Amino acid sequence: MLKKRLIGVVTVRQGLAVQSFGYRRYLPLGRPEVLVENLDRWGADEILLQCIDRSSSGLGPDFALLQRLATLGLATPLIYSGGIRSTADGVEAVRLGADRVAVDALLHADPRQVEGLARELGAQAVIGHMPVGVEAGALVWRDWLRGEGRTLGCKADFGGWLPWVSEVMLTDWAHEGSPAGFDESIPDLFPYSDIPLILFGGLSEPAQLRRVLQRPSVVAAAVGNFLSYREHAVQSFKREMDGIPMRPPGFAGLGLAP
Amino acid sequence: MRRTVGVVDYGVGNHASVARAFEALGYRCRVTRRFETLATCDLFVLPGVGAFPAAMAALLQHGLADYLREQAAHGRALIGLCLGMQLLADESLEHGVTAGLGLITGRVAPLPGGRWHIGWNAIEVQGGDALLAPSDGVSVYFNHSYEFVAPPECCICVSHLDRPIVAGVRRGKVVGLQFHPEKSQAAGRAMLKNLVEGLLDA
Repeated sequence: MLKKRLIGVVTVRQGLAVQSFGYRRYLPLGRPEVLVENLDRWGADEILLQCIDRSSSGLGPDFALLQRLATLGLATPLIYSGGIRSTADGVEAVRLGADRVAVDALLHADPRQVEGLARELGAQAVIGHMPVGVEAGALVWRDWLRGEGRTLGCKADFGGWLPWVSEVMLTDWAHEGSPAGFDESIPDLFPYSDIPLILFGGLSEPAQLRRVLQRPSVVAAAVGNFLSYREHAVQSFKREMDGIPMRPPGFAGLGLAP
Repeated sequence: MRRTVGVVDYGVGNHASVARAFEALGYRCRVTRRFETLATCDLFVLPGVGAFPAAMAALLQHGLADYLREQAAHGRALIGLCLGMQLLADESLEHGVTAGLGLITGRVAPLPGGRWHIGWNAIEVQGGDALLAPSDGVSVYFNHSYEFVAPPECCICVSHLDRPIVAGVRRGKVVGLQFHPEKSQAAGRAMLKNLVEGLLDA
């Protein structure tokens, strides 16, 4: 049986891992490699590395960081997000060690490139990342670069890229970094129940994680620094996911000397 | 003696991750498409992420398709991972019909209903295959939307969605795994170790 996933998120800004509060305020935490290595060791189901300033600054993906991560020999699937402008960027991210890529700004800027990514990498390797919020009972998709929101009602509101991604990641951007702040109406307001969802932003409490993961369309919950505040938080969260089909808590424990 | 794994570099996919996994297990690793370097390796690994036609075209372009067929015919061990597993098949229906390496009987077809198989799922070893038996029941990481439809005699493990999906195939010393053992943490790495040692000691 396919398991639901607990994804550890490392947010990177100006090359440093940060604690973000609603993508408005940031506290530096240190080298991203250290946080990624911890999540790998603690047995997260996937790791999402999101470099949040790469699109707005026009820098493109942080390939140098991916190269440094490659030297760690991660044993956990890695999703890369940040600054992907083209099919070639996504292919290079995978060549450097990412297993999947998540695109956000590209969904607004050039949705045709998302098709290109799917054709090169397979749609299973492509995630559509949507920062969203709830306004007047409707789901509003945030375009960071233009500083505007779009109310989501029908497929046309998405811009044609939905068939080219395997999962959609809904980030409650306003509550990101707020303990138990995630607005649980977000997955219910998403207009399509047949699209697998990853949820992120203010998911910090086991009971809340369990509630959102009980929804059939939610395949994964992503948790940021709430996983990094204490050692082995991944196992602690998982131990409290009674009734959720999830890989049991365990350690990557790669002590397999030849 | 330290064994050498040759990761076949045909320009498509996640060679770095695969090479690091084998290095972490203590093997010497060569990521290459040069025949003379591959000839020095004890076992080949064919990785892959992406679409079947582009990958097969790359293998043909570099002369690797014929090379791998010849090596397999001479009893050299070969492990295909994810797309690399699918390339072992006779043909694929991804973006039209494309001939594969034809090393293991079968056809690659889309999962029914345009579905994905993404995430961690348990494998169930079939026929008591000795190489995989220690890994029976462990969860490994899948990420695919096409499946290898193989005859029962070639299927060495399955995974369950709403029905069994072929997760591993084998013909002699040629083995294909639909999942990513290199990204399946301790369970995946233990499996790789058993596979390499088992294939080379057979």
